[in-house]
Amino acid sequence: MSETTKARRRSASSTSQPERKRPRFSGRTRRDFLVFLALALPNLILIAVFTYRPLFANIQYSFLDWTLGSKTARYIGFENYATFFGSDDAPRVLGTTAVFTVLTVGVSMVLGLLVALALNAKVRGTTFARSAVFAPYVLSGVGVGLVWMFIFDPGYGALAWFLRSIGIASPQWFNEPPLALTMVIIVYVWKNLGYCAIVYLAGLQSLPADVMEAAALDGAGAGRRFLSISLPLLSPTTFFLLITTILSSLQAFDLIRIMTPLGSGTSTLIYEAYMQAFGSYNRAGYSAAISVVLFAILLVVTVVQIRFVERKVHYA
Amino acid sequence: MSFRVDRRHFLALAGAGTTAAALSACGGPDTSGSSATSAAADIDFKDVKPAASIDFWSNHPGKSEDVEKQLVEKFQAANPGIKVNLVTAGANYEEIAQKFQTAQAANSGLPGVVVLSDVWWFRYYINGNIIPMDSLVKQLDINLSDYRDSLVKDYQYANKQWAMPYARSTPLFYYNKDHFKAAGLPDRAPTSWAEFAEWAPKLKASSGAQYAYMYPALADYAGWTLQNNLWGWGSGWSKGWDITCDSDDAVAAMQWVQDSVYKDKWAGVSSKDSSADFGGGITSATISSTGSLVGVLKTAKFNVGVGFLPGGPKATNPVCPTGGAGLGIPSGISKEQQLAAAMFIKFVGEPENAAAFSGATGYMPVRKSSDMTAVLAKTPQIQTAIDQLAVTKVQDNARVFLPGADQEMAKSVAKIVTQQGDVKATMGDLKKTLQGIYDKDVKPKLKA
Repeated sequence: MSETTKARRRSASSTSQPERKRPRFSGRTRRDFLVFLALALPNLILIAVFTYRPLFANIQYSFLDWTLGSKTARYIGFENYATFFGSDDAPRVLGTTAVFTVLTVGVSMVLGLLVALALNAKVRGTTFARSAVFAPYVLSGVGVGLVWMFIFDPGYGALAWFLRSIGIASPQWFNEPPLALTMVIIVYVWKNLGYCAIVYLAGLQSLPADVMEAAALDGAGAGRRFLSISLPLLSPTTFFLLITTILSSLQAFDLIRIMTPLGSGTSTLIYEAYMQAFGSYNRAGYSAAISVVLFAILLVVTVVQIRFVERKVHYA
Repeated sequence: MSFRVDRRHFLALAGAGTTAAALSACGGPDTSGSSATSAAADIDFKDVKPAASIDFWSNHPGKSEDVEKQLVEKFQAANPGIKVNLVTAGANYEEIAQKFQTAQAANSGLPGVVVLSDVWWFRYYINGNIIPMDSLVKQLDINLSDYRDSLVKDYQYANKQWAMPYARSTPLFYYNKDHFKAAGLPDRAPTSWAEFAEWAPKLKASSGAQYAYMYPALADYAGWTLQNNLWGWGSGWSKGWDITCDSDDAVAAMQWVQDSVYKDKWAGVSSKDSSADFGGGITSATISSTGSLVGVLKTAKFNVGVGFLPGGPKATNPVCPTGGAGLGIPSGISKEQQLAAAMFIKFVGEPENAAAFSGATGYMPVRKSSDMTAVLAKTPQIQTAIDQLAVTKVQDNARVFLPGADQEMAKSVAKIVTQQGDVKATMGDLKKTLQGIYDKDVKPKLKA
């Protein structure tokens, strides 16, 4: 929120007349409230049952020594958390999660903005180009993963064939952990780039044309106009994308599962939680603790963004 | 009363929803109870009538969906009162295990019969998820003595029979006969890894393939096939419940494996499926399951040879592990369903049905009396798998009985053969991990 807006609100608040004390529930507000309940309650019940009940159950499981499939469990307090943070798992998994999130979010947003600038040009074929850019985003992650596995296959993949044709041996994408992570990041960015591009494109098209024209008349070049006008005015879009892409990146699962089932080098928090419970360890309690760690990180990231990053946003 | 959902609120809600969803993804079942291990007492099935319908959960090992459908139809024709629903419950043993354990946690939707692999059945036993089949074997007069002894014994624990053999396999040595011929090598599998190491440079020079030999994909049960090397070098993942993967012999075996990739450079590591790489001509030889045999023979555009697994410097026999999957019956279903399930298991294990399954997949016929004449006429290579069965060895406890051990072994092997990690240190770390799993997840439950 800009300082101008805040000042305007403060001013409006200080000059308004003292409100008359109204009954807390007038007939009108009670009717409105009932309508609200009728519309919202079914959804609230569904959310409570299918989202928040498992959420609290999961927190409860994180305090148990519980093997998936077993009918019995033992309360062990914070031992699962101590095990996670005391083992090699924590730095490995948190590091992988950080690298994956920073790179997928950063590259997707930068490339998305560049693609949006290209798509914003008034030339023939932009409609087709926009559809083509957005299409991967709506494709199934499993399908995308399988196709890219063929492309990256070092034995008979399309990329290996191309590299061999220029005398280069294919890297072992699937077997070497850093390469596996690189591969998954490339595919994730390819799949999600369209989302950032389309949202940025919408942002670009809503920029006030008169400001841009005025800047151009004042002699500002294209680069200057972009850096000094477009980019600051796009900050609400950037902020929105930052939150949504970080959230989805932290939840990325399908591509990792399909392309690197062992999670060697690609085990992010959510994948590690899956592997610990369902992979082959069956440590459901430990997995629940990892999920709670992910929950805490998501919560902190979101709160920090809402609380601090938004201050840098310029709403038009 | 007004509600204003602005951008800020929307983003906050999105964050809250996402974090909640991240947690809700890991919901689970009831955690009450005091005893986990499967009840060792026999269940009395006298006066029980078989259920009218059961589910059969399979991952169709060895691309067996068609033959499984045929077996189900044949069973239903022979038992008109029982309907068997063949359910694709996963693409591999891990996925079917995941579905089975989730159903256990939910305590609903359990099948009558479930395919359980060599590394999963013991966990089901520990968790009390499957029943002992002894009383059913007696009541249905299942001829256990006609099953291949080593395959039946694989599922015996605490003097009970916990599953029956089904898609049973061993690893086989696959080689490209054309490549061997071009390299001037004999038309047979090597008797030892030392012999193959002598052959490998000739193969690589003459075949045009990328590798003389390809290790199976790490995600494809590296712990299973590499038992061959460990045993050949006189060691193993474990001896009984003693973890021995850091012994000098085990380290020497894995050092040899690493050298074949990095120092001698005639071996590679498959990314996905070494039998597919072999069929595609990328390597002159590999080790893969007998369950891949029929598929390889169908896809390969060259003459395929198969042989016993090579021996090592300290042992030439037995150096081949058994493997594959069996069929089990969940404890959480009705007696009627359990009886119907046992009838179906008995049926698919009949000699002629075991032969049909073997012929369609390459898995070993689990019955001694199966007439394999027609199958062998069509696929003579299956005989090698049958012959090798005589020199197989039950797998190391560490691989099949410790939850997550297979995965830890694969990670360690990955460190050795794809990152050139220090072999001794890696195997030492693996020992610590496996010992930790045994102490925490298995030992206390064995005592119970």
